[in-house]
Amino acid sequence: MTTSTLTVAASTKNAFKIYGHGDEAVYALRDVSVDFYEGQFTAIMGPSGSGKSTLMHCIAGLDELTKGSAVIDGVDLSTMKDKALTELRREKIGFIFQSFNLVPTLTADENIRLPLMLGNNKGNEEWIQNVINTVHLRDRLTHRPSELSGGQQQRVAVARALASQPRIIFADEPTGNLDSTTGAEILTFMRKAVDDLNQTIVMVTHDPVAAAYADRIIFLADGHIVDEMTEPTAERVLDRMKSFGN
Amino acid sequence: MFRIALKGILGRKARLVLTSLAVIIGTAFLAGTSVFSATLNATFNNLFTDVFKNVDAYVRSSQVIEGEFGVQERQRIPAALVEDVLAVPGVKAAAGDIQAFARIVGADGKPLGTDGQGPPTFGGVFTESFVSLWKVVDGRAPKGPNEAVVDEASFQKGKLTIGKPVKIIGQAGSREFTLVGVTSYGDVRSPGGATFALFDLPTASEFLAKPGFVDDILVAGDGSLSDAALSQRITDALTKKIAADSSATAKIETLTGAEITKETQDQIGSALSFFGILLSVFSFIALGVGSFVIYNVFSISAAQRERENALLRAIGASKKQVTRAMLIESLVVGIFGSAVGLVGGIGLSKGLSALLRALSIDIPSSGLVVKTNTIVETLVVGTLVTISSAWLPARRAGKVPPLAAMRSTAVEVIATGRKRTIIGFSVMGVGAAVVAAVVAGASTSLLGLGILLVFIGTIVLGPVIVRPVSLFLGRPAARFRGITGSMARQNSARNPKRTARTASPVLIGVALVTAVTALAASIKGQINDVFTQQLKGNYVVSTNNRGFGGLSPSLATDIAALPEVEAASGIGQIIGKVDGKGQFLTSVSPDTVSSVWNFGLINVDMSALTADSIFISRKKSESKMLPVGSSVTVVLPDATTHRLKVAGLYEQNEFGDYLVSKALSANTTIASFDVGVYIKTNSDVSATKARAALQKAVDKYGQGTLLDKQEYIDKNSGNVNQLLGLIYGLLFLSIIISIVGIIITLLLSVFERQRELGLLRAVGMTRSQVRTTVRWESIITSLLGAALGITLGIGLGWVIVFALRDQGLTTFSLPVGSAVVIVILSFFVGVLAAVYPAWRATKVDILSALNTN
Repeated sequence: MTTSTLTVAASTKNAFKIYGHGDEAVYALRDVSVDFYEGQFTAIMGPSGSGKSTLMHCIAGLDELTKGSAVIDGVDLSTMKDKALTELRREKIGFIFQSFNLVPTLTADENIRLPLMLGNNKGNEEWIQNVINTVHLRDRLTHRPSELSGGQQQRVAVARALASQPRIIFADEPTGNLDSTTGAEILTFMRKAVDDLNQTIVMVTHDPVAAAYADRIIFLADGHIVDEMTEPTAERVLDRMKSFGN
Repeated sequence: MFRIALKGILGRKARLVLTSLAVIIGTAFLAGTSVFSATLNATFNNLFTDVFKNVDAYVRSSQVIEGEFGVQERQRIPAALVEDVLAVPGVKAAAGDIQAFARIVGADGKPLGTDGQGPPTFGGVFTESFVSLWKVVDGRAPKGPNEAVVDEASFQKGKLTIGKPVKIIGQAGSREFTLVGVTSYGDVRSPGGATFALFDLPTASEFLAKPGFVDDILVAGDGSLSDAALSQRITDALTKKIAADSSATAKIETLTGAEITKETQDQIGSALSFFGILLSVFSFIALGVGSFVIYNVFSISAAQRERENALLRAIGASKKQVTRAMLIESLVVGIFGSAVGLVGGIGLSKGLSALLRALSIDIPSSGLVVKTNTIVETLVVGTLVTISSAWLPARRAGKVPPLAAMRSTAVEVIATGRKRTIIGFSVMGVGAAVVAAVVAGASTSLLGLGILLVFIGTIVLGPVIVRPVSLFLGRPAARFRGITGSMARQNSARNPKRTARTASPVLIGVALVTAVTALAASIKGQINDVFTQQLKGNYVVSTNNRGFGGLSPSLATDIAALPEVEAASGIGQIIGKVDGKGQFLTSVSPDTVSSVWNFGLINVDMSALTADSIFISRKKSESKMLPVGSSVTVVLPDATTHRLKVAGLYEQNEFGDYLVSKALSANTTIASFDVGVYIKTNSDVSATKARAALQKAVDKYGQGTLLDKQEYIDKNSGNVNQLLGLIYGLLFLSIIISIVGIIITLLLSVFERQRELGLLRAVGMTRSQVRTTVRWESIITSLLGAALGITLGIGLGWVIVFALRDQGLTTFSLPVGSAVVIVILSFFVGVLAAVYPAWRATKVDILSALNTN
């Protein structure tokens, strides 16, 4: 994989997120410019309050930048109204959250197809069946979330994120609530989605082991990018994290 | 613990307002109706204090007959007695007084006032005597047989002109007078919205009552005697005078001014108290239905605070303390809600008064009367209802295990217990058994108990029924609204207890309304059958005036004389004592009535009815043991006693149980109006021609409405519609409460599902899709209540109709039309109730919803 063949799936340019005014202003993001490439698994790391979640929310159209631009699939998000943003999320973005990923009244199958159904879109059935097989959920499709284990619930969430073939998937600490074995399982699925299905994934995490599954890591501290690493391992990430601590 | 409870309340003001809303509405109706009744009472009390302001003594006949429904007819006294009263030492002024029926016809030819509904239309005596409060504001007082004055409001409404003729209808028929003046009653233009036509004494007594007679004599003393002494002196003088005249049968009594004031006030008071009771029944139903909403709100709020309460338990609060904290909250909500409700109720009663004024019922305003009773009752009842509605949820809150603090989600327990199913079915079963027993022949007095048990059973079973029923009702939504509809359907079924409690107000209201509508439809069907059979004629002149005024007897004679008419007969009602008990007697002309009305005479001819005989309905004859050939004693309002032979029996008692000949009351002082003239036209005359001729005759009297057979039947069914109107008032009340209940529940649900909503918005649900979901959940809930209510109501209606089979109700009519209307209405109730919660749901902030743990 060489950088010259990569296309940009999402990016920010001189992004600022500022809460409050004047002396009391808090900079959650300070002049962040970053590109996320298609077919890559990118991790955003940083200590609490570094702005990593804010960055993800702003690129994903869940939050607005104060200054600068966020672009997905060539479209500047700041120009879009709520309805257009909602449709963008539905059609071009997949989400995996830390917890409470599923609608409790819907079955696993319905949860997987939720974004498609909201858009009155049948989707690509072959692809959906493929996704269901990949995450090993075939025998759990008619169950409701309360009847699934934590790991199974997150697998449903991964499947939902993949089902609509989005341009990019954002994952916010997807393994934060899972034990290490189950977490590894989920991360393996995400890795497979990138390798086998050519998906684009951006994951926010503070876990070096999780980050090690990524192709590339962006380090954030105090609202700006402080470092970047490609082809990481858990040890290298841990070392880098320690250096921030000092 | 008190401090914690208080802090909890103040920390969530929005919840306090929501919870209070249910209390406020319930108590507002209670306070409003109470204030309104008190105000109305005070208004009339003041009015009659004014009426008898200058009256020190009041002379009238002591002979009175009291009929059903508080109707009474008092004998009249000779007008000549006025002179005798004036001759009594100590009397300063005395005036004969008549309160009789009279109707003023406006310049456009339409009679003023309504026919038997609304404020009465009076005729009376105008006197410039000191005792009367009537005074001329324009023109002059009436003098002689051709002059009249009217009250100011009627003068304006009728667009009358002084010096021009005015047509007035009285017992003696319709007559033209010259309007010579306009009067007012003290400062009131027309008291109580009534219309008044006044004449001089001889004219009034001839035209409105009976020549030479008055209803009573108003007396003012010269101040030398106490009222009591003056009254006694008048009684003595008049008794002596009457005793001297051997032909006189009059018996008189004299009341003091204070006594007649009090008597009149009491009479009005008891008439109004019925109205007051009706209003408070409505408000208690409102409060009862509202208590479901209160109960629901506290249950939801307890569920939402499960973790908080568990935490309190974990750090050492006892069960009791947690429960007490909730009860303290309910106390605050109860007091706050009732206080706001009280203020709202006072506003509401102002609205009611304004409504009366808009209906041109001009009541002299004496300001709103807010009694201490009203305040205390509203606060106490409101607070008690709130606390008792919160009792169960509070106890449940106390039972939360401390471990619940560690659980990830705090959602109300969804399982509906087996115990509930068993209890619900048992209660319902017992109720159904009681009803079945009644149907099988047990005493109908048990019916109420059975129905109540079925109701309770249904409400206990609610949560069990809700899931399948709302999933069923939600099918179309899921089908046509895609994922949003299907989520709404699941949401309405996801917490059956909550949905059941929310739907309960709808259920109760709809069940009551459906039952009464079913009853009314059956009664209407019955009326149709009966009148089709009994009315042999094809036209009727009908009036709503019963008991007070009616159609002039000469109308029937005039119509019978028309060439287009084959037969016409007037049927009237007089009041009399039959074997000591006040009753309405139907008076007919035996020679003509048979050709227009079928009484279902049993082996007897109408001609057997004479001035010395009476016909009795078969039912009455059996229950009173009065077979043909026996005799009854009838006392008429003129105090004459008649021994009448039971000459025949009849089947159809729609007009009443006693039939007498008009000959009985001819040539007496008894008011004899017809309640209807029944007409059969010649078969060779076209309908248009016949109708035109009849209309002309009716117009001459300016009174009564000409109806053909079908119109007449419809009109009689219309009386049932008035009952329905009342019930629709109740429906309106329960709709308001249901809407409030659904709003509150939805708001709390939206609050509870914030994270879910945030997630849905994140993965691509648009705001309008969020609204659709909430709206359909609301609609399904509302329809659920309506569907169960209609089912229960139809069953209830059938049972009531069955219980009334002895009263002649033989067919049960399904109120299909009303059921459809109710379903459509409840659909819109759902839509309306969802507006605000749906809007709130779209305002959920995605990020903060997702970040809440």
